[in-house]
Amino acid sequence: MPRAIRGVLFSPIVFALVTALAIGAVMLAVTGANPLTAYQAIVTGALGADGIGNSLTQAVPVTGMALALAIPLRAGLVNLGGDGQLVLGGITAAAVGLASPLPGPLTLVLAILAGMAAGALYAALAAVCENRFGVPLLVSSLLLSYPAMSAASYLARFPLKEEGSSLPQTRQLPDGVHLPSLGSGTLNAGLFLVAAVVIAYAVIDARTPTGFEIRMTGRNARFATYAGVDRPRLTLRLMAVSGAVAGLVGSIGVLSFPYRFIDGALITPNYTWTGLLAALLAGAAPLGTLAAAVFFAAMTTGGAGMERVTEVPREITTVLQALIIVFLAVRTGIFRRQPRGDS
Amino acid sequence: MTLPPSDDGARGEGARVAAKTPRPGAGTGASASAEVEMRGIVKHFPGVRANDGIDLTVAPGEIHALMGENGAGKSTLMSILYGMQRPDAGTILIGGREVSFTSPTQAIAAGLGMVHQGFKLFPSLSVTDNVVYGREPRRRGLIDRAAARRKVAELSERFGLGVDPGAPVAELPVGVRQRVEILKLLYRDARVLILDEPTAVLTPAETGALFDVLRGLAAHDRTVLIVTHKLREVMALSDNVTVLRDGRVAARLRTAATTPAEIAEAMTGRAIELDRRYPAGAIGGPVLEVTGLTVRGEGRPLVDRVSCTVRAGEVVGIAGVAGNGQTELIEALVGLRPPDGGRVTVDGRDVTDAPVAARRAAGLAYVPEDRAEVGSAPDASIGDNLAMGFHRAEPLTVRGLLRPAAVRAHARRLIGEFGVKAGDPADPVSTLSGGNHQKVILGREMAHDARLLVVEQPTRGVDIGSIQNIHARLIGYRDAGHAILLVSAELSEIIGLSDRILVMSEGRIATELDRGEADERRLGLAMAGAAEGPA
Ligand SMILES: Nc1ncnc2c1ncn2[C@@H]1O[C@H](COP(=O)(O)OP(=O)(O)OP(=O)(O)O)[C@@H](O)[C@H]1O
Ligand SMILES: [Mg+2]
Repeated sequence: MPRAIRGVLFSPIVFALVTALAIGAVMLAVTGANPLTAYQAIVTGALGADGIGNSLTQAVPVTGMALALAIPLRAGLVNLGGDGQLVLGGITAAAVGLASPLPGPLTLVLAILAGMAAGALYAALAAVCENRFGVPLLVSSLLLSYPAMSAASYLARFPLKEEGSSLPQTRQLPDGVHLPSLGSGTLNAGLFLVAAVVIAYAVIDARTPTGFEIRMTGRNARFATYAGVDRPRLTLRLMAVSGAVAGLVGSIGVLSFPYRFIDGALITPNYTWTGLLAALLAGAAPLGTLAAAVFFAAMTTGGAGMERVTEVPREITTVLQALIIVFLAVRTGIFRRQPRGDS
Repeated sequence: MTLPPSDDGARGEGARVAAKTPRPGAGTGASASAEVEMRGIVKHFPGVRANDGIDLTVAPGEIHALMGENGAGKSTLMSILYGMQRPDAGTILIGGREVSFTSPTQAIAAGLGMVHQGFKLFPSLSVTDNVVYGREPRRRGLIDRAAARRKVAELSERFGLGVDPGAPVAELPVGVRQRVEILKLLYRDARVLILDEPTAVLTPAETGALFDVLRGLAAHDRTVLIVTHKLREVMALSDNVTVLRDGRVAARLRTAATTPAEIAEAMTGRAIELDRRYPAGAIGGPVLEVTGLTVRGEGRPLVDRVSCTVRAGEVVGIAGVAGNGQTELIEALVGLRPPDGGRVTVDGRDVTDAPVAARRAAGLAYVPEDRAEVGSAPDASIGDNLAMGFHRAEPLTVRGLLRPAAVRAHARRLIGEFGVKAGDPADPVSTLSGGNHQKVILGREMAHDARLLVVEQPTRGVDIGSIQNIHARLIGYRDAGHAILLVSAELSEIIGLSDRILVMSEGRIATELDRGEADERRLGLAMAGAAEGPA
């Protein structure tokens, strides 16, 4: 029992949190703010009666993207093209939602599926580049991201642009094609979709032969190959799933308030990079990724809340996040280059 | 900057002067003259007492062998001496002075040096660059390449290492790379050299060369601590032997006054039959058929139209000087390297271009030479490593779901069957001692019950008791009607187990020997002749 307590107290997470908060407190004090008030404001902003809804709303895309990146990362594959797949999913969902002649609920489902398919196909393309042409996935996924973002931007500015508007955005989706909201706030059924992905990923990871192969590939890819895992095929499938989840997040974004595709709206909040950090921190483990993503989302809303009630700028939460990551990395060595790898 | 060692250099303190006597006899002299003295070393790991009050004394200029079964605590003791791990209790004296290292850097500063099993060299750099790395001689702030090269050449000369200072490390054979590691230590003034199973990766000729070097070092008053499982090497090289068993010292022996049988008995607690030759198998129909298999390389083919057959109930051994295509042949057979020509069938099924999974389904199991990089995922648990390959079928997976309880039970069964010394199936494989790691892989692959077992270096790093056990298992596997293709650098192993021996040279099968024709001298000649023959 005392050993368990010691384990928690000296765990890298607690160490990172305490150290980051202490340094943050010093910084706040130096700038003349009261650290306690500021931290309290972050907690209230994130978890208070007004904040919790916002935090959950924010957690949906961050968790979604964290999962999208965690799934291939579990096998040691880094998908750097999350932004492209996200945006492509969003614009596809918008286009289908606007064009479909079907009744509202069916169109809603169709738009989500189309968004996922678009993300999946596009991410699979990066896998094909690696498998067929030997372009490393890291490079192919990142490079493919830019044309996708440009294409979506073009569509939102020209063919699909809302007539009469000066903004680069599509028309608003009809009423029936909105994700049903939960309660009075901004939260909607997208929460359940992402929750379903979390559950599916957790079950597949821990309890299926495929999940087992993915984990073993991440631990030692040469071992997996030796044992008969078809790596190119696994890469293709994981990238497709990753892109599908990114496309789902894009679709959810478009099917939520303000119910249209707005150029840049999916990218500026940095869901992809926050998600990637969450996945890296958790070693792509399903529940760890979820926890890290929700934590980052809460920090973001908490920072905004703090800015409203104190003089402290919200950037302090970004600094805190960065400090936590650095200290976690120091203690666990997660970013250290693995001596073992496949070459 | 500190200069590289000059033999009668600045370190001639009391302990060393007293040690100028030619070769210490019984070795365990008074502590005043000991170079290394470890007293009451204790080290616990969860569930294991790896070192349980070990005393070890080594005199200057002595070659001291450390033996013991897999998991007896040899590597742990050496890593404690070298500052890679802290002991839970005990004291260490170097040259009579008490030390307490928290890192290898401090151990190096105190005159210790260790050659690890996986070498830590930069392949693209030259020998000189590797040796002086981190401690380059400088002139006016710049690295003095000429001086570096001169010093490395001089060291190589003085200790008879025979290494070309300008050669790129990537082009050197394993045995020479190991000598580069030794050069590195000498350049850093090491007086005590620790070698953990240095001969496991060497050919017999390379081993001989290494021993000459080590004897030369001892003659220059350097102290050598060597961990090995090979009795013959201990007898040929060492002055004294310390035998560990279950973390304690089981015996301290003077080599000149002992026998291999006595050492083996001290290690295992029972009499061991060394170098046994097993009876012939009952040979059945062909299982592996290879015709005209070719793997191209740059210039010469690496594997050149190899044809051979391995039949049920037969062990076929492949011998040869390392680097004559054995590795590439096996890689092509198991599906890790695409062949450029020829045909391979397993149990009548053509698998020439089949992916690994299809080959395994056709009845192939494989124990690779490189157990950490290929044969396992060292960071993953023992249970997961043992489950690999079984994870898609019952009982591990039922109705599409992997059953953790079944994975654990499977692991426990194999751990028990193969006598793996392991704490818990949930522990990572990297916590296993070298020999137990090997047993995990061997156990998993034999458990597949595949028609054909391809096995490379099955007993590398394995203790003598377990070697006997593994050999008996392989023969039992053969006698159950399986075919075995065995690659080994250990001639006694090839001769003891094989029904037929193929000697490879320059990618071709140069000689074929039947079990009756093969003895160590003949096989050695065939390998040497094959190596020189076709020039
Ligand atoms: N980091 C570790 N964590 C847990 N257990 C360990 C660790 N390192 C070693 N052990 C255990 O300590 C015991 C001694 O291991 P050690 O590596 O010293 O054996 P060894 O004598 O070198 O064996 P081998 O001949 O197989 O190399 C083994 O039971 C091993 O499983
Ligand atoms: Mg060892």
